[in-house]
Amino acid sequence: MSASAQQIKNRISQEYKQGFVTELEANTFPPGLDEAVIHKLSTIKNEPEFMLEYRLKAFRHWQTMKSPEWAFVKFDPIDYQAISYYSAPKRKEDGPKSLDEIDPQVLDAYKKLGIPLDEQERLAGVAVDAVFDSVSVATTFKGKLKEAGVIFCPISEALRDHPELVKQYLGSVVPPADNYFAALNSAVFTDGSFVYIPKGVRCPMELSTYFRINAAKTGQFERTLIIADEGSHVSYLEGCTAPMRDENQLHAAVVELIALKDATIKYSTVQNWYPGDKEGKGGIYNFVTKRADCRGENSKVSWTQVETGSAITWKYPSCILTGDNSTGEFYSVALTNNYQQADTGTKMIHIGKNTRSTIISKGISAGRAQNTYRGLVKVLKSAAYARNYTQCDSLLIGDRCGAHTFPYVEVKQPSAQVEHEATTSKISEDQLFFCRQRGLSAEDAVSMIVNGFCKAVFKELPMEFAVEAQALLGLSLEGSVG
Amino acid sequence: MLSIKNLHVSIADKPILKGINLQINAGEIHAIMGPNGSGKSTLAHVLSGKSGYTVTEGSVTYNTKNLLAMEAEIRAREGVFLAFQYPVEIPGVSNIYLLKAALNSIRKYQGQPEVDAMDFLTLVKEKVRLLDMDEKFLYRAVNEGFSGGEKKRNEILQMAILEPKLCIMDETDSGLDIDALKVVAQGVNSLRSPERSFIMVTHYQRLLDYIKPDFVHVLANGQIVKSGGADLALELEEKGYGWLEEQAAA
Amino acid sequence: MNTATASRYTAEYQTLAPTLPGQTLPWLKQLRCRALEKFSAHGFPSPREEEWRYTNVSAIEKKLFSPSLSLTTPPVDKVWLKGCQLEDAWSVVLVNGRFSAELSVLDGLPEAVSLMSMADALTASPAIAPLVEKYLGQAVNYSEHGFIAFNTAWFTDGLLLHVPAGQVLAKPVQLLHVVTQAETMATTRTIIIVGEMAEAKVIETFAGVDNSYLTAAVTEVFIDQNADLTLYKMQSESEKAYHFGGTYVKQGKDARFTHHNFALGGLLARSDILTDMDQASECELNGLYLGVKRQHIDSHTRINHLKPHAISREIYKGVLDDRARGVFQGRVIVAEDAQKTDSQMNNRNLLLSDNAEADTKPQLEIYADDVKCGHGVTVGQLDESSVFYLQSRCIDEETARNMLTFAFANEMVDKIRIKSLHDKVLEQVLLRFPQEGIEKSWL
Repeated sequence: MSASAQQIKNRISQEYKQGFVTELEANTFPPGLDEAVIHKLSTIKNEPEFMLEYRLKAFRHWQTMKSPEWAFVKFDPIDYQAISYYSAPKRKEDGPKSLDEIDPQVLDAYKKLGIPLDEQERLAGVAVDAVFDSVSVATTFKGKLKEAGVIFCPISEALRDHPELVKQYLGSVVPPADNYFAALNSAVFTDGSFVYIPKGVRCPMELSTYFRINAAKTGQFERTLIIADEGSHVSYLEGCTAPMRDENQLHAAVVELIALKDATIKYSTVQNWYPGDKEGKGGIYNFVTKRADCRGENSKVSWTQVETGSAITWKYPSCILTGDNSTGEFYSVALTNNYQQADTGTKMIHIGKNTRSTIISKGISAGRAQNTYRGLVKVLKSAAYARNYTQCDSLLIGDRCGAHTFPYVEVKQPSAQVEHEATTSKISEDQLFFCRQRGLSAEDAVSMIVNGFCKAVFKELPMEFAVEAQALLGLSLEGSVG
Repeated sequence: MLSIKNLHVSIADKPILKGINLQINAGEIHAIMGPNGSGKSTLAHVLSGKSGYTVTEGSVTYNTKNLLAMEAEIRAREGVFLAFQYPVEIPGVSNIYLLKAALNSIRKYQGQPEVDAMDFLTLVKEKVRLLDMDEKFLYRAVNEGFSGGEKKRNEILQMAILEPKLCIMDETDSGLDIDALKVVAQGVNSLRSPERSFIMVTHYQRLLDYIKPDFVHVLANGQIVKSGGADLALELEEKGYGWLEEQAAA
Repeated sequence: MNTATASRYTAEYQTLAPTLPGQTLPWLKQLRCRALEKFSAHGFPSPREEEWRYTNVSAIEKKLFSPSLSLTTPPVDKVWLKGCQLEDAWSVVLVNGRFSAELSVLDGLPEAVSLMSMADALTASPAIAPLVEKYLGQAVNYSEHGFIAFNTAWFTDGLLLHVPAGQVLAKPVQLLHVVTQAETMATTRTIIIVGEMAEAKVIETFAGVDNSYLTAAVTEVFIDQNADLTLYKMQSESEKAYHFGGTYVKQGKDARFTHHNFALGGLLARSDILTDMDQASECELNGLYLGVKRQHIDSHTRINHLKPHAISREIYKGVLDDRARGVFQGRVIVAEDAQKTDSQMNNRNLLLSDNAEADTKPQLEIYADDVKCGHGVTVGQLDESSVFYLQSRCIDEETARNMLTFAFANEMVDKIRIKSLHDKVLEQVLLRFPQEGIEKSWL
């Protein structure tokens, strides 16, 4: 292996910096899952009756389902009875009334992650909902959002304060029986964020949820529900980290987005769950169902994701383009290294007329990792003049990794125009040599090339996240991302 | 032959041409020059009937007929020929097939019988020689895998065979090296006649070194801001377009 | 999976077995038995299998086809046959899955070249029979899927072509499969071996008179080091017929394989083209599928880059009208060892009617890093700038669209390097297009 190739390897095998554990007292259910656990969960959260029924129905359905087997993702069977389904830092009372009541250890943990929750240091222009294991511990800027009529709160709170909204929309995009992990989530989800943007409101700031798994032997099952009413606009960011542990932990989230007429939702994720060590031990199983319904005319949903963490990532943020002239977008960077596996992509279901979708996927595979793009573009007969453009590029670093591209294209409408392109290549010695001949170090050259490769996606990220995403790729990127 | 009066054209509600007036008589060569985005290509496309353009005002009369009311192919059969800036590649259709289909469409339109196969081949081969092309081109798919110069030559070949009355040449010089430019210019010059007029849309003056125009018009911001003789092109070459745009804006 | 169907076939096996060729050969008898067991257990492929997700063969399962038992050639309409048979080729004709010596034309075939029916090959000279034993089942295993197992258990005949090392065939060889009898299953097995440095052009033609029948043909191809094979498949089965045709190829070092697949006929037609590529070999897969009425045409390809420096190029085009459905699944696999692989795949589809459908799934599976691979897919309509270009050349819009639709398909027809075949395919293609404005004599 040439010197430059070795440097590439060094560059990409950075340490996981968010792998610390916060020591604190927690309320944790003993491991195990049955109807009693669900009753207990619902009771502890003080949920309305319909929610308990919803959970039990999902649970009963889940019991009839089989864990999926995927051709390109390998993992040992999960023992669902060995997982604890609820873990929350101990609180003085029901919920923290102010930041003073939050365990300083938790605040400190978020601070270490670069997400300060206290009033003085909070991120300017970004409202944060911090979810620690099974519960939301703090939501910032609540007052300012309330002025605009925006509801941004933990979903457990929304269930108490806005049960009618939750009831109307929950499960309307991802039904409980949708798939194995969605069913499990519907039965046992603990917390997550709820967003409602009223008619005609442009959300005054970025909304953000920061998910942190801390406790051992727990699973995180968060649920996010975002509703953008007619003519509204919202940008939502999501970040995730977890400590380094030898065992695999399950994260099975469900995210539902609903965009009504003329509404726009932009959903960005920087996923950096613990990926496991260099030998492939430990790490998070990230089995997530994310789906948006562009229900109204001219609505638009844009998914942007940077996936660098998790031992296994299985997620397909999708758009159901129901409304005429609605638009779905998916921008993705997935980096896998060592023994990580990622099987990610999107589904664009064109139902309405003149619906448009764009898919840009960039996969980077290094070490012994396997990186798969799997996408479906489906144009139904009703979707006259639908358009899709898909571009999937894979970059291979090292000779023991894999990159796979599995697009499915199904078209039942003659006026539709669907275009898919894919390429797979490695960083060429010529490119590297060229950069070095112009005075760049091999490391900087790789940084530049990898970032150039991902640029089309990074430019879709909000500024705060773009910076984090670049840092996550372990590359110094001054000025090359716009 | 062609009379353009107060022509306004928009693309998706955005005005591109804002009142063009132009009179072209038989046998004349008019050069339309202008900076990028001035609307030169729009004018060429509107005259030849490409869809996607909305005429919001004005008229175009061609040999006493309302040109704008005609379908693209009727304009072509009436003798309006557009030499494309970017000739389209059509895999699976041979050049010879296209030429035959086109020529017979014109003859049918004029009430003449289809061209005799032998006469046609003789005609085509003669023109091919004239343009210094290889006969093999005829049997290759239209423009497929052709170099930039070959594509432009192929446009002139079609022009030579279809014998139009009004030739609109859209940036014919773009992408041509000097040798190809000479061949193309030679082809065009050989087609000059008292009955045939040319509109040459071009950004640069160099084509006009080889095909001498009778009139030069400068298009800026959707309007003709200056007209003159061949000398105007030389002046533009020297001074650029900036001074005219400023004049127009003032 | 429909094992009920399978058991109906299995029940008839014992009565049929004595009529199948090679019953005295223990290795073959054993192979057929294992294949039969496999088929009995699993039946025909199910849409739950990923490789069959867009093609449901339950229509085949509902019927019970019988093999032709007669060893004498039934009467065949000579004029019709002439329409299928190439004049400038050596041609071997199989009628209802059985070799017909009187219809075949083998005059002047070089002595070193073996071209004979599979039945003859299995009982022929001691030089040939071991060749069959050596190669049969080596390019594809009966366990791959139900149709292969079905074919292996039931093949009634087939062909063997062996071009020895260094031999360059002066004329193409046509393997003509015709079915004249309703409700027949034509299960044929063909082996093509092209020795080192040898060159051959082979045409497999599938045709039938207007009946419902099942073709289940398997062709195994072995292209030795530095050899060159161009294989044409012309599938113009009856519009009531079911067709499964699989071509399984092993390419040696530096071997070149070119395949042209014209899928025009059949009510439900599926083709598999799978190739395993050795070092520095080259393969080119071209395909054209034209669906009209209620046709379902599925083309399935798999290019397996096993060793370094191989090059593959693939382009499949589909035109779908009426209620037709076109399916394309193309897989390119690059193994860990296959560095410096260069692969390009393209699939283009034109939908001409509101009820037509195209499903396409190109796949790249890459386990090596120093590769250049790509694929592209489009589903859509004619390019509007091309329509305008033709209009600006005096051609009216309808004619322009017809010309461009035809041209879209004709690009694949133009790749045929055998004049007589080119003309026959062109004729078939023209039949399936709106004729207005297409002047055949100019083509």
